Amino acid sequence: MQFGIFSVGDVTTDPTNGRTPTERERIKAMVEIALKAEEVGLDVFATGEHHNPPFVPSSPTTMLGFIAAQTEKIILSTATTLITTNDPVKIAEDYAMLQHLADGRVDLMMGRGNTGPVYPWFGQDIRNGIALAVENYNLLHRLWREDVVDWEGQFRTPLQSFTATPRPLDGVPPFVWHGSIRSPEIAEQAAFYGDGFFANHIFWPTDHFQRLIEFYRTRFEHYGHGRADQAIVGLGGQVFIKKNSQDAIREFRPYFDNAPVYGHGPSLEDFSSQTPLTVGSPQEVIERTLTFRQQFGDYQRQLFLADHAGLPLKTVLEQLDILGEEVIPVLRKEFDALRPAHVPDGPTHAARVAQQVETGDLESRDPAQLDAGLEVTSR
Amino acid sequence: MTTIVVLTAGMSQPSSTRLLADRLAEATGRVLRSSGHEPRVEVIELREYARDLANHFVTGFPSASLKAVLDEVSDADALIAVTPIFSASYSGLFKMFFDVLDPAALVGTPVLIGATGGSTRHSLALDHALRPLFAYLRAVVMPTGVFAASEDWASEGDLRTRINRAAEELAAALGGVRATPARAADAFADVVPFERLLAGTHTRRSKAESRQVGDGTGQI
Repeated sequence: MQFGIFSVGDVTTDPTNGRTPTERERIKAMVEIALKAEEVGLDVFATGEHHNPPFVPSSPTTMLGFIAAQTEKIILSTATTLITTNDPVKIAEDYAMLQHLADGRVDLMMGRGNTGPVYPWFGQDIRNGIALAVENYNLLHRLWREDVVDWEGQFRTPLQSFTATPRPLDGVPPFVWHGSIRSPEIAEQAAFYGDGFFANHIFWPTDHFQRLIEFYRTRFEHYGHGRADQAIVGLGGQVFIKKNSQDAIREFRPYFDNAPVYGHGPSLEDFSSQTPLTVGSPQEVIERTLTFRQQFGDYQRQLFLADHAGLPLKTVLEQLDILGEEVIPVLRKEFDALRPAHVPDGPTHAARVAQQVETGDLESRDPAQLDAGLEVTSR
Repeated sequence: MTTIVVLTAGMSQPSSTRLLADRLAEATGRVLRSSGHEPRVEVIELREYARDLANHFVTGFPSASLKAVLDEVSDADALIAVTPIFSASYSGLFKMFFDVLDPAALVGTPVLIGATGGSTRHSLALDHALRPLFAYLRAVVMPTGVFAASEDWASEGDLRTRINRAAEELAAALGGVRATPARAADAFADVVPFERLLAGTHTRRSKAESRQVGDGTGQI
């Protein structure tokens, strides 16, 4: 089981003192948070990708490369990489490059982006969101698996005898998660490729995500990648922890009440009962997080949202200390003890290299050969 | 069993909007029962969900109790929707509910629309605001919408006629009964004797007189 944090990278005024960090401060804070995550023993740091204020992380591989140079163990990931508006050729090259520099400590989470005006800034149209995600990812998947690609599609210029460089480290592409909060098509896509599926279930009630993940698991099995309970699932989480619950609630409430996504709406108490938000003691966070396994089955990656809504850097670093010292070690032990032997652990480069040597199971999926491929998997 | 959901966006308590909603529900139930149906009537006061609706706008998901109401409306066999008219249209609370309702929830559902206001000058809001809203939702809106202004509560007869006509239409749409087709009044069958017109004592005659005059004898 892998534990980590994911950052949206929002620049938000601290509602308790009216202070707004500069972009430089926020960018540097994200780096410091990533380094702290490694220090306290977390497995993953993931950054968002945004191209509109009030967000700063527009260039994830620049930031992750900078962090990679200062860390040794932590996996660097994204939440999410915009598969709709980025050129898949550039994603293939940028992340292969990062993979070499970070010695394989790289994976990605694909997302579509839900802000309509962003699409035309990159020559696209949100109405094609799903179609872009489907076509672009198929090309990306091939670019990492075929040395020479001839390709033609709807959304970008054709490729003739193109080789994306550098080739993935050890011939093994970065592991890919597909993130979605709403669309069964994306769960279907993740299942088709045998990729991971990440459900950021922190803003909505559980039953919706149970359906989405159940669907992904069923389709993962359908496409022949293993049993449904062997599908690779990641979940979001949102916590604020203090030694005792009352302090946690008192300190977090102003940030909750003014938070960009859900602020000025329901009370902290209502939202905590309706969504996975947990504001309380380490023990409460541990107990709540363990319920995710009961709701969604054994899963591979748990990412927490820790730095948002204007929380000052000092507070975020304290939160990571508590997570690393009092929460994650217990969760790791509990989850690992509960997970049956046939259910895989969270994906790492080393494990994927070993798997490829063993099974050669990283072939590309060319749409032209899709029918034949489907026949094989359904047998 | 036929389920009729009554949605009322009245603000005050007691509310004339709720009163109209109850009258429409009662009349519809009565017509259905007269033809052997036993409808279930569920009344929903949107006022009780004002905060849940606002939270749904902010968070993107309904609270458990609002979800139950949304489901109830989606599953209804017929809807009676009544709102006060504010600023020439349905109230904001009323619109909030339909903004978060699944756009396909009411496709093909018979809907009886009603509204209340301080004066009859607002009555066309039914046809200029409510009817297009339900047309967008592809509901089947009954031809008669019932508007009740303050003065209507004082002159019972007319409002009751409209309530009954609307109720018959909704009951007919539910397959319960055939609505009595409204016929154009025969201008010659119901003429007020001139001496009374001149005296200004009668703009409208009593039922007994109407029957007398309109009994087909042609004798005035």
